[in-house]
Formats: sequence, structure tokens, C-alpha cells
Amino acid sequence: MAETALKKRSPFIEFVSKATSSAGLTIIFTIIIAIVATVVAGPFTLLNAIVTGGMWALLAAGLSLVFGVMNLVNFAHGEFFMIGGLTAYYVFTPISAYLKENPSPFLTALAPFAGIIAATIVGALVGIVLEKLVFYQLRKRTKEQWVMNSFLLTVGISVIIINGVQIIWGTNYKGITSYWDAKPLEVLGVFISVDRIVVFGIAMVTMAIFWYFLQRTTTGRAIRAVSQDETGAQMVGIDLNRIQVLTLALSSALAAMAGASLLFMFPSYPTVGLKPLYIAWYVVILVGLGNVAGALVGGFIVALLQTLTGYFIGVTWDDVIPTAFVMLILLIRPSGLFGSEVKGVHEQ
Amino acid sequence: MTQNSSVKYTYEEQEPIERIKRLAKKFGISPVGLLSLVILLILPFIPPFNQEHLLRWLVGAALIAAQTIAFDFTTGYINVVNFGFAAFLGVGGYTSALLAVNFGISPWIGIFLGVIPSAVLGFLTGILTLRLRGIFAALMSWFVGLALLGLTRNLTELTRGPLGLNAPTFLETASNRPYFYIIVAMMMVTYLTLRWITNAHYGLAFRAIGQNIDAARASGINPTYYRVFNFTLQCAFAGWLGGFYAHYYGILTPALMATSHTVEVLAISYVGGRGSIWGGAFTAFPFVFLIEFLRSNLTELPGLHLILYGLLLILVMIFYPGGVAQVYDTIRDRITNRSPQNQSAAAD
Repeated sequence: MAETALKKRSPFIEFVSKATSSAGLTIIFTIIIAIVATVVAGPFTLLNAIVTGGMWALLAAGLSLVFGVMNLVNFAHGEFFMIGGLTAYYVFTPISAYLKENPSPFLTALAPFAGIIAATIVGALVGIVLEKLVFYQLRKRTKEQWVMNSFLLTVGISVIIINGVQIIWGTNYKGITSYWDAKPLEVLGVFISVDRIVVFGIAMVTMAIFWYFLQRTTTGRAIRAVSQDETGAQMVGIDLNRIQVLTLALSSALAAMAGASLLFMFPSYPTVGLKPLYIAWYVVILVGLGNVAGALVGGFIVALLQTLTGYFIGVTWDDVIPTAFVMLILLIRPSGLFGSEVKGVHEQ
Repeated sequence: MTQNSSVKYTYEEQEPIERIKRLAKKFGISPVGLLSLVILLILPFIPPFNQEHLLRWLVGAALIAAQTIAFDFTTGYINVVNFGFAAFLGVGGYTSALLAVNFGISPWIGIFLGVIPSAVLGFLTGILTLRLRGIFAALMSWFVGLALLGLTRNLTELTRGPLGLNAPTFLETASNRPYFYIIVAMMMVTYLTLRWITNAHYGLAFRAIGQNIDAARASGINPTYYRVFNFTLQCAFAGWLGGFYAHYYGILTPALMATSHTVEVLAISYVGGRGSIWGGAFTAFPFVFLIEFLRSNLTELPGLHLILYGLLLILVMIFYPGGVAQVYDTIRDRITNRSPQNQSAAAD
């Protein structure tokens, strides 16, 4: 006991120093705003922000991870989201049509998961293919100005995926009204659909697994090592190529999972990914590029900001206000509110 | 100093032609370039191109060409991708159109007045992105573009939002030929101005900043001044060209300011060759024709032309980063027998 007491400062001082860091202040400030908003606008805003915030966190975590490990600024992240939605739609609708003819309460409850899991797998596959086919090719040839060049590659990929999907599946909206046909639950006097609750649960569980994977497993540690120091990681025998494939696959799988889970809110059509892309970027800039853990908090902050803008100013403005806010953050603290442990962020 | 005494080649005799040569070099005029311009100028009278719909393509191509020149001025030199480029174009266009609609100001004056807000916004964006490096600056300009797009969409009393704003056209005629000459003139003004600047010591400073900002600063270049100058100028030209867009097509919608438009300009400018200024403009003509041809002939496959954009961008980025400009340089060097190896051998 004496040993730990020597090592650690008093818990109170520890708490105060954490709370007054920029990350701590941000969290405290957000909580205050959330409470004020709940009082003024009703608990509906808070619940809405929490439910969507979880999904934004998933999207942003993938984006952040890929930046950390591959120094890749992914413009095509929203397209993974779209592919996820599309896959879930084509897996879930036939199953649910089949279940309408052969009712089975057990399978009906499970069917949505089939869609979401299928979407996650497809997302991962797309990530692997892209890494092998595009990013690896560029990395092999030149590493000069990698950040900018790879960013432009993702721009090209985004255009190709959007229009490819449009040619094959058309521009019409492919969506569902809900995954689970259950009565909305009442939480804090607000009716909230089962879908939203389950989706929030999925997001939280995934984030927890993801966090555990990064912090505790050997592969996760290797991923973090690469994001902190590529050369150093290579020296201790980490296979860079393998880590890079894995990272992109993970990231796109997370995005696809978010797309599939939010299918009832965002019906799949070719350009659906644009908005989630902005949002993921807002989150990532807010908390700092490469900061995966911060993405969770950032997701809630951005979702809260959007809900409040929608409530107080107007739904159409929920792009403009968060944009302005994020620009401000970028100006004041380019490394984000929570800072970033990623090396090479400020190198071009 | 008779004409026969040409053996005694004196400096005075040499001067006029040398002077023209030097002047031409200063503005980036080469014999091949002049020839291309002449061909371009007589093109509207050559049979297949004198039809109105092909003339329309020509005008569109020249407009894109002029945009790629302005775009490359920033991307190819200071190495900052202005991802909100289209928004600055839109600001110029909307200003000019609104002035014409509300105050009856002639489009001929309006397009110059439209430059002012674009330049001011460019100046501010330049200052905003100053502290940020490469990719952050690109993201920042993207956010600025998104914010401007959101504003245009939402300020419906002013811009009529997605309904579109009708702008008076430059001329009463239905023919596209006069417009073609206007836009080619505008393109040439853009080209000559920007080439003149980049061929002066400014170009060197821009490149130095683009390659290594710290080294540039260490050698006495003030990055603040050059970056803001570059950004302001680019946005000013974007605004000017936006004015042409408004008064040629006669209708403005927020879609003009969307990121996809920036991607279009970006793809052509990259395929044309970074840092060449002329490469994008040269590429724009065959490229736009190919794309318009695909668009009008393969109507059952919408978006195929955009896939081509993406694919070409990726292929060029990976396999031939120099683009069309490098192809030209290689051919020219082979013809004049000045291969890079010979040059370096001579230098030794």
C-alpha cells in the first residue's frame, strides 16, 4: 500500500488536475450544457444526442485510428457507411419478408443482427481490397507527401464508390422504417424507439470491445505502437503491412456497422455518406486527430451540438453551426481538445 | 552594323528578339502554347465544333480549364489543397448575380465586383489556415467551403436556396460563340497573371514553402505573407470565374458550391500535372469532351463519367504523379535531345 501511495498523488489533486485540463474542462462544460439544454428544451434533446452520439463515436473512432496508423486522411469514410447500410438493407429485407410469412418471434428479434453483421464483414472486405489495391500501391512507390497524396486517393475512391453504387443500384432510397416492430419505450417521459436503444447498446458494446482490443491485446498494442512510432514499431518486429491492412479493415468495418445500425435513420442512397463523413471529421478534429478514446466523448459533443442547433435555430442549420464550431477549435487548438499522441500529425 | 555583318553578332542586335523571348518566358508563353491557343481560337469555326451543343461543351471546358489554372496556383505551389474552391467560385457568382438582380448592375461590372467578397474570404481563409500544415489547411478550407455552402442553402431570402437564382446573361444572343471568346480571354488573363507571378521570385518562394515550410522560413521567406497572398489571389480568380458561370448558365444553385465540383477541378488539375499551371488547362479540353460525350451517349449509366474522374485521379496519383505536363516535358526533352541524364552529365 505504501508503495502505491508513494507513486500516486492524492486522488483529490489527481482529480482536480484532470478536471482542469482542457479535456476535463470540455467534458465538464459539455455536461453543464447538456443539463441546461435538458431543463430548457426537455429531456428529448439529451436522449437524442446520446443515442446518435454513440454512432458518431463509432464512425469517428475508425477514422481516427486510420489516421493514427496509416497517416491516412480518409475522405471515403462516409462511403463505408453507405456500403454498410446497403448491405444491411439487402440482407435484412429478404429475411424480414420471409419472416412475415413464417412468423417466428425469436428469429425476428435476431434478423437485424444478421444485417448488421453482414454489413460489418462487407465493410472489412472493402477495406482490405482498398488497402491492397490502392494505398499499398502508392506506399510502395513513394512515401513523399504521403498524407496529401493518400487523401486525394481517398477522394477518388469516394467518387468511384458513390457513382458505382449509383449505376448498379440506382439513386432511390433504400431504407426501412424500423428493425424491431416493438412499442417505443418510455424513458424520462420521452418515448424512444427500441431501435435507437438497441443501436446505442451496439455502439457502446462495440466501443468497449474496440477499446479492450486496442489496450489489452498484442495486435491492438502493435496497432498503437505503429501509430506512435512507425520506425520504432518496425524495429521491434511488427509487420507494418499486416497492421495497415488490419487497421483499414477495422475502420471500414466500424463505419459499415454504423451505417447498417442507423439504416432506419439514414436510408441508403449513393451520397448518404457525405453527412456522416462531415460529422466524423468534426468529431475527430474536435478531440484531436488520432485520438481514438476521445472519439467517444467527441461523438456526444457533436451530437449534442447538432440537436441543440436543430432545436433552437433550425434543422437546416445543423451543418453550419457545428462547422463553425469545429473551425474555431481548429484555430485555437489544431491538435484538438484532448490532444493527440500520434506522431507525425504535424508533419506534412 | 549592316545586315550582312551578322557574323559579328553584337548584343544590341540580339536584344529585340532576346527581349521578346525573355518576356515570353516571363509570362510562360511557349511556341507550342501559342499554337494551341491559335487552334483553340479557330476551333469554333471548324465544322464539328461549330454546332451549338459542341460550342457549349467548349465553353464548359474552357471554364474548367481556367479553374484548374487557379486551382493549381495553390495546390501545385504552396502545396495546400483548397478543398473549398467551389465555394469561393459560388461566392463570386452569387455576388455578381445578386448585384445584377437587385441593383441592376451590368454583369460586365458585376463579375469584377464579385471578385471582392471572394478575395476577402480567401484572405480570411488564408489567415485561418496559416498556422495549419498541409492536410489541416485542406480540412480547414473544406470546412470553410461547407459553411459557405450551408449559408447559401439556408439564406433562402437572399439566394433562393435550392430553387436556384436566375441571373441575367452577358449577352442577348443565343449563340455560344461569343461566350467562348469571353471565357478564353478570361482563361488567358488568369494564365498570364499567374504564370507571371510564379515565374517571378514569388514562384520560388511558393515552392519553397510548399516543400518545407521550416526550411523556407529559415532561409528568410515569410510564409505568412506568401501563403495569404497565394490564397487571396486564387480565391479572387475563383470568384471572377464564378461570375462568368453565373452569367453564362443564367442560373445558380448551391450545388455549384458542393465539394463534388471541387473534386472535378482537382481531378483534372492533377491529371494535368501539379505545379505546371498549364497542364490542367490543356487536359481540361479533351477530358471535358470525353466526359460530356459519355454523359450524353450513355444516359442509362449516369455517373460513369464521374467514375472516370476518380479512376484517372487514382491511376495518375499512383503511377504517373507528373501527369500530362510530365509527358510533354519528356517528349520535348527527347526532341531537343536534352534528356535529364544528359543535363546532369553536363552539370557534372
